[in-house]
Amino acid sequence: MAEQVGIVGVPPLEVIAALNREGARIFDLDEPQPQIRAPIEQSAAWVPRVYCAILRTVVLNAMLLKLDRIFIDVGPGKCDAALNIAEVLDDMLAIPIHRTHNQDRIPYGFPLCTSAMPMVEKFTLISKSVQKATPHQPREPCTPLCGFWGVPPRDFALLRLFPEQTHVFGWARCMENKTPADLGLERQFDPSLPTVFFTQTFCAKSALAHHLGRRHPQALVIDCDVSPSNSARAKIEAFLELSGVPSPAGALL
Amino acid sequence: MLLADFGTTYCKLFDTQRDTRARIVASRALEPGFQADLATGHNAARRSKRAVNELSALARGGRRLISADSFVLLDCGSRDLKFVRFAQGKVVDMGWNAECGASMGFTIELLATYYQLDYAAMAVPQSGFSITCGVLGMSHIFDAVVQGSSEEEAVARFVRGIALNAHRFAGAPEEVYLSGGLCDNPLFVACLPCTVHLLGRFVLLEGLLDLLGHEKGHIQL
Repeated sequence: MAEQVGIVGVPPLEVIAALNREGARIFDLDEPQPQIRAPIEQSAAWVPRVYCAILRTVVLNAMLLKLDRIFIDVGPGKCDAALNIAEVLDDMLAIPIHRTHNQDRIPYGFPLCTSAMPMVEKFTLISKSVQKATPHQPREPCTPLCGFWGVPPRDFALLRLFPEQTHVFGWARCMENKTPADLGLERQFDPSLPTVFFTQTFCAKSALAHHLGRRHPQALVIDCDVSPSNSARAKIEAFLELSGVPSPAGALL
Repeated sequence: MLLADFGTTYCKLFDTQRDTRARIVASRALEPGFQADLATGHNAARRSKRAVNELSALARGGRRLISADSFVLLDCGSRDLKFVRFAQGKVVDMGWNAECGASMGFTIELLATYYQLDYAAMAVPQSGFSITCGVLGMSHIFDAVVQGSSEEEAVARFVRGIALNAHRFAGAPEEVYLSGGLCDNPLFVACLPCTVHLLGRFVLLEGLLDLLGHEKGHIQL
């Protein structure tokens, strides 16, 4: 039976390549897992309620999935909070918790980030790409209508507000490029595009989002906790609409 | 075409074929099946054929009604605060405080009824409570009354605290265009620490008219 391995953040490529060779089944613990129906509140036994929803999700997944081991990136490519969560996981589980410091610098490119594709699908593929060490399939870049800067949100419902021709920037671009600690790439944006700078509530990256948002001529800086609130959705919808970006089919005007 | 701004406490209606003035109806007085053609507000999604984002309606309405091309428009309603900031004709910032700004207008109206107060006859207090939302602010009123303040003075300090909070939320501008139900509250308006231009309660309806391509001046404010 294949080994079941959880990953948090983007472990180094050599780790992913080894897991691929061994045929391990990889679970991205940063994302809600479809087989887990337990509420996120259940993680409060191990981590505060007022905390990054992605890391609370990590703890919930680790509690309920039957994993053989976990690789958690605690270097500059993830966040200080992951370093602390690694301690929690160590105490909580009787499996090996491998702390990694991903400093990979070989750029794999980010064809998904610049492609035309429904944003939920785009982010699903970006997240999945972390689990493979193989080069990306080439894709035609699209002419962008707007930008999304940030991390994959805890709740992908937020992404439905954006058109297919949204270029993705920030840490999500670093993920696809397989260089999660590349701050130079992370801080890039396109000043000609109306851009939403997104972070999870309680995330240290919010300082960078605010900093870059102040420098961008047409920016909306926003944060969301577990799921986007009505006001967060409305702000994004109005920002895009008033910036002349057509609303995707199915979204509120 | 029936346009509506479905607020939490009051609904603002305008029929483009029949009305020359917008109407205000208490939201709780609406029939369960009441439907508008085009609407905005909290209940727009379930009460209209087509729902429009509130911030978008506010920005469009402001752009129609305000001749300046750089301004801050602040909407203080029953349940929340919204603002849009225009610079050289473009929206450059916006906000919607539905959480920390919760129930401000609603609480102000509730307090007037409960304590039988007339906001038009109340003086602006020297200072306000440091409050972030209507619900949390209530305890300050009770504490002040316990400590010897009159009910009227305590409520006035509550209103001033809310006005200061709303002003900060909009980025503390020197000049603000005010829309929403609190335009009708003289004490609240007087407590805002800046120049205030009152636009009244139909700015979001103006935004809906803008969306339909109607000319300006359709609704008598």
